[in-house]
Amino acid sequence: MTTKLRRMVAGLLIVCMGALSAPLPALAGIVGTETVIAGAERARLAALLERDELRVQLQALGVEPADARARVAALSDEEAARLVAEIDAAPAGGSDFLTVALIVFLVLLLTDIMGYTKIFPFTRSAK
Amino acid sequence: MRRAAAWAVLLAALVSGCAAPQVAGLLEQLPPDLAASAEVAATPFYPQEDYQCGPASLAALLNHAGRDATPESLVPQVYLPARQGSLQPELLAATRRHALVAYVLEPRLEALLREIASGTPVLVLQNLALDWAPQWHYAVAIGYDLGARRIILRSGVTERLAMSLDTFERTWTRGGGWAMVALPPGRLPVTASERGFLSAVASLERLHPVAAEQAYEAALARWPGSALAALGLGNARYARHDLSGAAASYRRATQLAPASADAWNNLAQALSDLGRRDEALGAARQAVALGGPRLAAYRDTLAHIERAR
Repeated sequence: MTTKLRRMVAGLLIVCMGALSAPLPALAGIVGTETVIAGAERARLAALLERDELRVQLQALGVEPADARARVAALSDEEAARLVAEIDAAPAGGSDFLTVALIVFLVLLLTDIMGYTKIFPFTRSAK
Repeated sequence: MRRAAAWAVLLAALVSGCAAPQVAGLLEQLPPDLAASAEVAATPFYPQEDYQCGPASLAALLNHAGRDATPESLVPQVYLPARQGSLQPELLAATRRHALVAYVLEPRLEALLREIASGTPVLVLQNLALDWAPQWHYAVAIGYDLGARRIILRSGVTERLAMSLDTFERTWTRGGGWAMVALPPGRLPVTASERGFLSAVASLERLHPVAAEQAYEAALARWPGSALAALGLGNARYARHDLSGAAASYRRATQLAPASADAWNNLAQALSDLGRRDEALGAARQAVALGGPRLAAYRDTLAHIERAR
């Protein structure tokens, strides 16, 4: 009974871990489309190490481990390589909404005054 | 009062300048096949919370393409807590996780407007402030009116923000002119380039070979002479174990580009798996004879087929 249960759990674990690992198509004998497009052969090991490094970086930036794994797996080789290099410098779109609202209000107000737009009833165009 | 007006004009010049170059060019020489105005009014709207304009904008795009998603479901896929924002490659990756093609437009205002005119909302990255003090922001462009010189955005907490097209151009090019669309695999962006689209599909292939297969078929319908599309179609079919379908696509790729060693190599592998050893040997030898940067892999394929008796 316990052996049966243990086998079942082990089977489940293997399935789960299989689902977690990066679904890199390592089809023997087939040249992948991404490789054909990239032109040069990227060293497979280097690509795997880059992905692993990126996963660690994402976790350090506050992403849950399981999420980080899935996020890295969804990137192309090129995207993964670029992110590893520039994750701290890449623009992270995410102004907080009060700042956005304020800036948008100012921009609209100014373009109204300039005469490009007519959104606020209280502005008088400078044109 | 007059001084205040002068200040306002100066500030406005700083923020918006006069006419923006691309808008001016477009209006001067209006492409006859570009609609004067359009709006994808059916695009959903999620008012953003905190720093989450990325998840909110992406959810609107994915919903419009027929996928279930909410900003909450996308936060674990794209949001970076320590950066208080989302990165562009991750928006593309999350789109692909929903079995959609994520395509980055060429950084031209006209391409953006053409996509909207074809009924596709476009996710854009804007820098709302200045180069040296950036304020990055994602929004969804859903409409425009060239006559009124306006663009319509789902932005922040505003469902229908009408912004001057000139101001938009400046904030958008300050953000690198980055714009993306999310499309079901059977549909192509109207402004898609062959190479750009196939590259987008190749990235989808690793996650969803079935969706990629559909996208490659659509690409072949648009560019019937594309050997790369035929090769990709073969790879997508091979990934889901449709060996004879894969062999047929690889065969087509070798007909379209007889010098593509990759196509010959993959054809050899598929034929070998099908048990058609003699044909496989011929194709593998062809790949080795053509050579190229992946010659070692072609030699492996050939050796493998020779050994399998």
